[in-house]
Amino acid sequence: MNRRLEERRAYYARYKQTTKTRGKPFFPYAMFHDTVMSLLVVCVIVALAVIWKYSTPHEDPSSSGWLGKLYDEKADPGTTNFVPRPDWYFYFLFYLLRIFKWPDSVLLGTVGVPTIALLLLIALPFIDIGSERRPLRRPVAMTAAVLTIITMGVLTYKGATAKEPLAAENLVLVPQWGQKQGFAGNPTAMDGGKIFAQVGCMNCHTYEGAGTSNLGAPDLTSIGKTSNRGVAGFADYVSNPSKFGNNVMPQFQDLGADNLRKLGTFLQSSGNCNPKSSNCPAAGGQ
Amino acid sequence: MAKTKPSRADQLLYLLTYPLNWIEERTSAPGRSGIIGGIKYFLFRKVPSDISWGHTLGSAALTAFIVQAVTGVILAMYYKPDPNSAYESIRHITDDLWAGWLVRGMHRWGASVFIILLFLHMGRVFLYGAYKYPRELNWIIGVLILVLGMMEGFFGYLLPWDQTAYWATVVGVNLQATGPFVGPFLGDILRGGAELGPDSLARFYSLHMLVIPGALAALIGLHLWLVVRIGVSSPPWSPIEAGRPEPGPPPAKRKGLVAPAPRGARKR
Repeated sequence: MNRRLEERRAYYARYKQTTKTRGKPFFPYAMFHDTVMSLLVVCVIVALAVIWKYSTPHEDPSSSGWLGKLYDEKADPGTTNFVPRPDWYFYFLFYLLRIFKWPDSVLLGTVGVPTIALLLLIALPFIDIGSERRPLRRPVAMTAAVLTIITMGVLTYKGATAKEPLAAENLVLVPQWGQKQGFAGNPTAMDGGKIFAQVGCMNCHTYEGAGTSNLGAPDLTSIGKTSNRGVAGFADYVSNPSKFGNNVMPQFQDLGADNLRKLGTFLQSSGNCNPKSSNCPAAGGQ
Repeated sequence: MAKTKPSRADQLLYLLTYPLNWIEERTSAPGRSGIIGGIKYFLFRKVPSDISWGHTLGSAALTAFIVQAVTGVILAMYYKPDPNSAYESIRHITDDLWAGWLVRGMHRWGASVFIILLFLHMGRVFLYGAYKYPRELNWIIGVLILVLGMMEGFFGYLLPWDQTAYWATVVGVNLQATGPFVGPFLGDILRGGAELGPDSLARFYSLHMLVIPGALAALIGLHLWLVVRIGVSSPPWSPIEAGRPEPGPPPAKRKGLVAPAPRGARKR
């Protein structure tokens, strides 16, 4: 017979025995503590709701109080100038996706790491099988717990403070891009750059050092050279990325064919133009 | 033999407890207790005498869940799960209804409090080593409750149908659709099509207020049943920890290093 199993069973039998002889009834002793704690929980929830409501300025209900807005603007599938923000307890997952880059390792961030973490959590009682319960005598378990808490805390903090640039901030960069890349003389590419700056591309993509790398989206500074799809090819890709196996990027077909063509010209010009000679193979297209 | 008439007090007691006895008799098998007996057992069962505030986090999370259930039922009376009217119905609840802001605010912030309490409760169980034999199964049920609780957060987030919620959910579902094999399939099921629209909102609403809460309630019931059946653990550092071996004679290997204690000296 397994000695460990016998020890465990003996422990449980002793536990039941001691509790029966030396324990105290749940009511009223333990229930008193539970009731006080539950009342505290309800009070905290009500207090949060009250602060949320009354810290919002009365004259402008759409502005933000201490705990955020009462309501955001109505969802509009047509606009793509959005800031994808989950609730705070998903920030750690949200930030995980900035660590793993599309497309090589993004699967690790979306599925791999969370699944492994969840399996480890479920398997904990089968990994830590010793009968010792005192924290100071479980150094491995306690170290793992502290590291987990620190990791989750840092990821949540980073996710909370990760800033997406505003459209207006990006817009002023477009003329610089034109100079640097050499498509300043091409109004179609410049218009495409303005669209790029405004419709939310830079919430996930970086370009010439601006924007935010998010959800594993690649840097697009020289995308025209590295992924030479042509103006129509880029327009097609952006309008429905899932057709090309990219299920993370949203569809942008609502921008309309004209805007998509401008955007495509901008992307094709990126990295393909020569700033000195203003020679731009994509610029003449269509 | 003359019949003795029961006293007034006995008659009154009989009358008052009659409904309870009626229910008890109709919920019990011969020789086994019924619902009333079960409640009595729940209330007056013995718990280790050294348990304290650390052990209240589980019932605190249960309280937060009940707050979510009650406020959720009230919100469901006024909320309209349709993209054309969802946002307006939320504004109506917040601005026009009496205490509507309070109910919605409690539901919104109660969700965060619930998640925090689940994590704190899990931390307490970890610190006490309370996931060890014989409580392994209850740990697993607890992890499932945590996962379902976070899914409640994910599906509920879309319901106000505002910009942040909409685009966060678009990205969330798309991410989830990157999963191997079942990923794209799951994405399509959740969206009810290629894009997030009316069908998606109805699906999220149904999952958020029927499917997941039902599963959560069932798992919480099972969790509590196991807690009552197995019993809560003492703090491991407690001098009167329930289940700790009585200090016996020193182990044989110490012979020669430590002088054996005189007989009876180590007994409590």
